[in-house]
Amino acid sequence: MTSAPASRRGIRTGEWAAWLVALALVTVVLVAFRARLNEAHYALAYLLLVQGASARGGRPLGVALAVGSFVCFDLFLLPPYGTLTIQNPLNWLALLAFLATSLISAELLYRAQAERAAALEAAHRAKDQVLAAVSHDLRTPLTTIKALAHELATPDDDRAAVIEEEADRLTELVGQLLDLSRIASGAVVVNAQPNEAEDLLGAAAQRVAGRLDGRELRIAVTTDDVLSFGRFDFSQTLRALVNLIENAAKYSPAGAPIDVWAKRDGRWLVFVVGDRGPGIPAAERDRIFEPYYRRPGVAPDAGGAGLGLSIARGIAEAQGGTLDVGEREGGGSEFRLSVPAIAEAELRRG
Amino acid sequence: MAAPTGDVVLVIDDEPQIRRVVRNALAAGESRVLEASTGRAAIDLAAAERPALIVLDLGLPDMAGIDVCREIRAWSTAPIIVLSARHADAEKVALLDAGADDYITKPFSPSELDARIRAQLRRSRLAPAAGEGEVIVIGPLMIDPVKPSFKRDGVPIHLTKTEWELFRTLIKHAGRTLTHRQLFHAVWGNSSGDMQQYLRVHVRSLRRKIEADPVRPVLIVTEPGVGYRFDHE
Repeated sequence: MTSAPASRRGIRTGEWAAWLVALALVTVVLVAFRARLNEAHYALAYLLLVQGASARGGRPLGVALAVGSFVCFDLFLLPPYGTLTIQNPLNWLALLAFLATSLISAELLYRAQAERAAALEAAHRAKDQVLAAVSHDLRTPLTTIKALAHELATPDDDRAAVIEEEADRLTELVGQLLDLSRIASGAVVVNAQPNEAEDLLGAAAQRVAGRLDGRELRIAVTTDDVLSFGRFDFSQTLRALVNLIENAAKYSPAGAPIDVWAKRDGRWLVFVVGDRGPGIPAAERDRIFEPYYRRPGVAPDAGGAGLGLSIARGIAEAQGGTLDVGEREGGGSEFRLSVPAIAEAELRRG
Repeated sequence: MAAPTGDVVLVIDDEPQIRRVVRNALAAGESRVLEASTGRAAIDLAAAERPALIVLDLGLPDMAGIDVCREIRAWSTAPIIVLSARHADAEKVALLDAGADDYITKPFSPSELDARIRAQLRRSRLAPAAGEGEVIVIGPLMIDPVKPSFKRDGVPIHLTKTEWELFRTLIKHAGRTLTHRQLFHAVWGNSSGDMQQYLRVHVRSLRRKIEADPVRPVLIVTEPGVGYRFDHE
């Protein structure tokens, strides 16, 4: 992070230099065609330049360009050329009018931009507040519904148990909708830290325990002492991985184990979830990551709203990673969730 | 059997329905339940009644839940269990750092709440001396934190100095989630470096020595995005 201000300063200097070069070029062109042009042409050409500069580079650059244009205008385009004096006193008026117009336009442009940025930020904040409020307002009554259904449950009447299950389903859905709207609006908070692959696999196994309808979850880890570190947000990546495992359980035959493993692939740490389901035709491999997409021929009550995979991809991408799917050797699908790996050399230094 | 006779539990929540849920979850036991609907009233009640445990909802009308937590923690050692509708890691970490002992996200099931309350009450009753000086036996493991020595099926296993520090810290606060920061401070003091990385390297090596299956740990449990907890019953 320490290099950020320095590089920004570098960009700034480059930008200023580019605009000064543009000013020189415009002046050269105008001087070349001096015989066929008049003051109105000069003024309009420079004004365009000043507005461009203030729109791109903000107020200081706009003002600098206005003053620079003013000097060039006087020096090279108003006779006698090469001096700051002016033959026709009326041209002073034109020149001052030009300066005023360009300064005012630079200022107005700057203000309009600042207002737009502030409005955008306010909109983002408002959206965050709404999401937080919705999350609170929906989860609190769900707590009551779930708890009261739990209290009412009796061994010979399953209605209360159904209410509790449905409350759980609704809770899941609320969570997914909130996740999706955060991802769609770019409001996912990613806290990428050095994390270890085995830790994540273990947490995922714990989270899905008892939720795979009796399917076995097999975790493969390397037994040697190579540390598989990546830079990722632990709980978000865990959510993505759990979504993938649950998806695998949904689409693979009962009793077929689900395999999960981690591997290094160049600069990526890849978490792979492999199932022995029917596999996914190539034409559908991108569509399954779209929200609410349901694969043809799959019963609509397969559970969930079809959001798990798009949330998982959103989480992968929000931290600079990827999620894709391919064929698995021996049949089935392989979902690959990639996050940036940490090089061994970097680890030793720490 | 939520809590044994005589325990006073304070429930702080502005939603009467949630207070009812918590009260009902505790009803099976014989604990006395006090209720407060604002942070201010809760702090006064906690000072007057000295409850054995506090259940605190974060969404209070008059003050931020984390401030209520901090203020009570300043003079009380009663376990504080936080209820929250939000699921953000940063919030959980901030609460644990402010002295909360556990948190539950809404919606929770009454049996889960009941279990957490019981665990905290049991822990606070044992609190002062737990893990210090005693030899601990967990299945095939025998841990003597003082000597220090660690045996698995009677066979001594070497733990490095850092692993011991980490192990002792976790055991001392068994049942309680320690944030990454709390663990790092306890084990490494104030030395600089990438704490996330150090901690993970040593948690992994410790798990390989103490867990039956290090990939599916049951003793050192990961609390995603928050920290680690030593669990043993």
